Amino acid sequence: MDAQEIHDITLMINGKVHQVSVDSNWTLNDVLRNRLGLTGTKRACDYGGCGSCTVLMDGLDVYSCSILAMEAAGKEILTIEGLGTGENLHPLQKSFALSYAAQCGWCTPGMIMSAKALLDREPNPTEQAVRVALSGVLCRCTGYTSIIQAVLGAARVMRGDS
Amino acid sequence: MSENLLTVGRSVPPIYGIEKATGALCFPADVTLPGMLWMKILRSPHAHARILEVDATAAHKMKGVAAILTHRDVPRVLFGPYQNEIYALEEELRFVGDTVAAVAAEDWNIAEEAVRALRVKYEVLPAIHDAEAGTQSGAPDAIVDYPDPLSIKPGDIRADQLATFGNIIGLKEGGPTVANRRGDVEAGFQQSDVLVERVFRQSEVNAVSHEPRACVAIYEDGKCTLWCSVQDPYRLQDGAARVLGLPMANVRVVATNLGGAFGVKVTGRFAILCALLARDTGRPVKIWFSREEESIDSHNRSALTHYVRAGAKKDGSLTAIQVRTFLDNGYWPFGGLGQNIGFAICTRPVDLYHRCPNVNWEVFVVRTNRPSTGPYRGRADAESHFPVESVMDELAQKIAMDPIEFRLKNRLRQGDDLCSAPKKIVSTVWLEEAARSGAAAIDWQRRAALRASHSGARKRGMGMAMVIHSCGSNPAGTSEAEVAIDSEGRIALFSGTADQGSEQQTTLRQMVAEVFGVALDDVGGANADTSTCPFDSGPFSSRTVYATGIAACRAAETAKSKLLECASLVLNTAAKDLETGNKFVWLRGDRSKRLSLRDVAAHAGGSIRGHGIHRPNEDPLFAYGFAAAFAEVEVDIETGEVKVIRLVSSHDVGRAINPMIVEGQILGGAAQGLGYALTEGFCFDQRTGTALNQWFLDLRTPSILDIPDIEPVIVELGEPTHPFGAKGCSEISYVGVAPAIANAICHATGARVTELPMTPDVVLKALREAKRTGA
Repeated sequence: MDAQEIHDITLMINGKVHQVSVDSNWTLNDVLRNRLGLTGTKRACDYGGCGSCTVLMDGLDVYSCSILAMEAAGKEILTIEGLGTGENLHPLQKSFALSYAAQCGWCTPGMIMSAKALLDREPNPTEQAVRVALSGVLCRCTGYTSIIQAVLGAARVMRGDS
Repeated sequence: MSENLLTVGRSVPPIYGIEKATGALCFPADVTLPGMLWMKILRSPHAHARILEVDATAAHKMKGVAAILTHRDVPRVLFGPYQNEIYALEEELRFVGDTVAAVAAEDWNIAEEAVRALRVKYEVLPAIHDAEAGTQSGAPDAIVDYPDPLSIKPGDIRADQLATFGNIIGLKEGGPTVANRRGDVEAGFQQSDVLVERVFRQSEVNAVSHEPRACVAIYEDGKCTLWCSVQDPYRLQDGAARVLGLPMANVRVVATNLGGAFGVKVTGRFAILCALLARDTGRPVKIWFSREEESIDSHNRSALTHYVRAGAKKDGSLTAIQVRTFLDNGYWPFGGLGQNIGFAICTRPVDLYHRCPNVNWEVFVVRTNRPSTGPYRGRADAESHFPVESVMDELAQKIAMDPIEFRLKNRLRQGDDLCSAPKKIVSTVWLEEAARSGAAAIDWQRRAALRASHSGARKRGMGMAMVIHSCGSNPAGTSEAEVAIDSEGRIALFSGTADQGSEQQTTLRQMVAEVFGVALDDVGGANADTSTCPFDSGPFSSRTVYATGIAACRAAETAKSKLLECASLVLNTAAKDLETGNKFVWLRGDRSKRLSLRDVAAHAGGSIRGHGIHRPNEDPLFAYGFAAAFAEVEVDIETGEVKVIRLVSSHDVGRAINPMIVEGQILGGAAQGLGYALTEGFCFDQRTGTALNQWFLDLRTPSILDIPDIEPVIVELGEPTHPFGAKGCSEISYVGVAPAIANAICHATGARVTELPMTPDVVLKALREAKRTGA
């Protein structure tokens, strides 16, 4: 058995600075969920197969299960908890919540974070662009139609079209 | 549906929507407690083996290991989700992935290393890898040690009816098969003008809930609490209490929200072992499955083989259906409701084609050394409709009759007796209405022209399938509900059902709100916590809106009559002259004479409570759900690729309590059915029994890029056995997709695909076969 090295790192998550000691093999997902209690970020496979663990790292949607905690040091991490709260919902969250685009809710945070990355770079996406952008996140419940509609609806709100 | 309703029938936003969209919702896997240990399971590398010795010396010495459980350390008490038939750990291991031992340690890495440090000596036993092979004489036993059927306490099946015949789980009376026989099939085939004979094979599939199963257990002062991903929290409460030797009152199970379940997240060893480790260590313990564990330590849809013969007359009358089905029960002694699934397989499609006079359908439920199989979304009917609906299509084609008209001619009608629910008659059958609405939505009239218009390598075709499935009127299971009005006048519904994604609490609360004439926001409540909610057998078989819905409406009516009685004393009038609305109780005809709910509740001097129950078999009428699925496909005859252009999924839902949720369930079920049709299916190493594709990308569930245009169609013509006329529809939407696509492929190309999933190689094989036989 290899002795694991412990590293003290600084993580910037949702605008807050966290000093954490991590084993070299801990993933960002481990640290978010099990050390910092940010359980809004899910995990369904742990090897980059489903996207339910998606967070933003320096604005890019990444699988937190496939990023080592040490790799995330110094980067800006945004999780679903940093996007909005019950009192102050992001348009994507509101759109998903109101339109039953979140059925079991397990893929939802990853789906919303991936959609956020899309809308940040393309405020007026086509339906096909939404499909391509979200193709890294799997959903087992909805059949995706309501998710696509929720993203397009949120985009309209964010553009001020509705 | 002419009544003026306040919330029923409206697409109000689901109650858990915001918590799901903010990540605030706490699933069992999200529970983290101070001082918590992590549990890992050592899994069997052999399909069938006996444990000779477990040497845990090295693992015990590891820093951070708190406790280890082997089969010698656990109580010899049976438990299980369907009936009590397994122990927490056993000496005999029955599939690759079976539970050998469990470790609790300071963190998940240490637990994993400790599991690897366990040294186990196995005696490898001969294994059964295929249901049909398991029935041959001289086949080895897939399970050597299993409890006597009489020693198990039955859940849904009656233990005293069970018997085993080698590896076949059968019935004492009736022998090794579950059978449905009527008339004389040979005479029926003599009368037929056309005959179809086919063999169908369907692969085993996993439900692929995205939340891998989790359990967190605490044990303090002789009391145990479990947060667990199960749809049957009351079964787990009972099982954990008996294994721990505690009274049931000292065990609490919380399963409020689950990240998908689809019928298969039920009481299992992982939860019982977690509770035992919490007791042994005195600390909270958590287990959270990996995806691999979620894939194999579950209850999958069985692999099946069907040998089918069916005949019809030129006028479209079915004359005979004969089927022999082999169903892989997996490694559980009786488990997976194999018997009940067998019964439903051989009866429900026969009910759908009630006019067929001659039937002989035998199901062999066979133990194998494979993962357990059980009731997954659309249970029994997804298993049976693929062969039946394929054969119906072929018969219609042979007599040159429209496939819709052929099916409708032979279908079940309102008031018919049911072989799937003995001594009952079917309440409503809005099948024709669903079929006609669906046909209009996909424009069935284009069918002939569609095929003619595509003459190159890419052929177009259109197919359909009809479906019967449970809508909640299940002969098994009881639902209770409680409605309380607290001293502030707030209404709450307490229900034992977990929300696994169908948002049934929204739908149930809409019905309760309607009874009181208030808005959905005025009804709160709690669900799936055994310490606060009354018993419910769980959200299975699309039963919540129907069965729990009836119980919830009864509870609301009882609470309402108590409320009115209390108000009648204050208002000095008869309770029968009062009604509720807008958070008031008022005199019918003179709304100025009124009291607020809050004032009435204050007068009551405490909470007003109403209890409701729905028992199986309480009504001689039996409600069924009906659906028609339509598919338009494009088949590349050079590559065998099938592209689904459009799906229409049309449903008799009685009444949609929340149309947005109903449509969401139909869309989701159709998408899952699409996976069953085209891509999903376990591959096992035939020599070792090891699952080869238990990882997400290999499970091949549909992605957002795979989903065609899907149109849900809702037919609302009511159901008299439900207070608001509703039928459950979350499961049925899965069932018709695979046969509708197979029939569309056949319409496009003339090739009959008889295997699931219909991957390109399977389609090419069918195309070659069609060419060979000149079809």
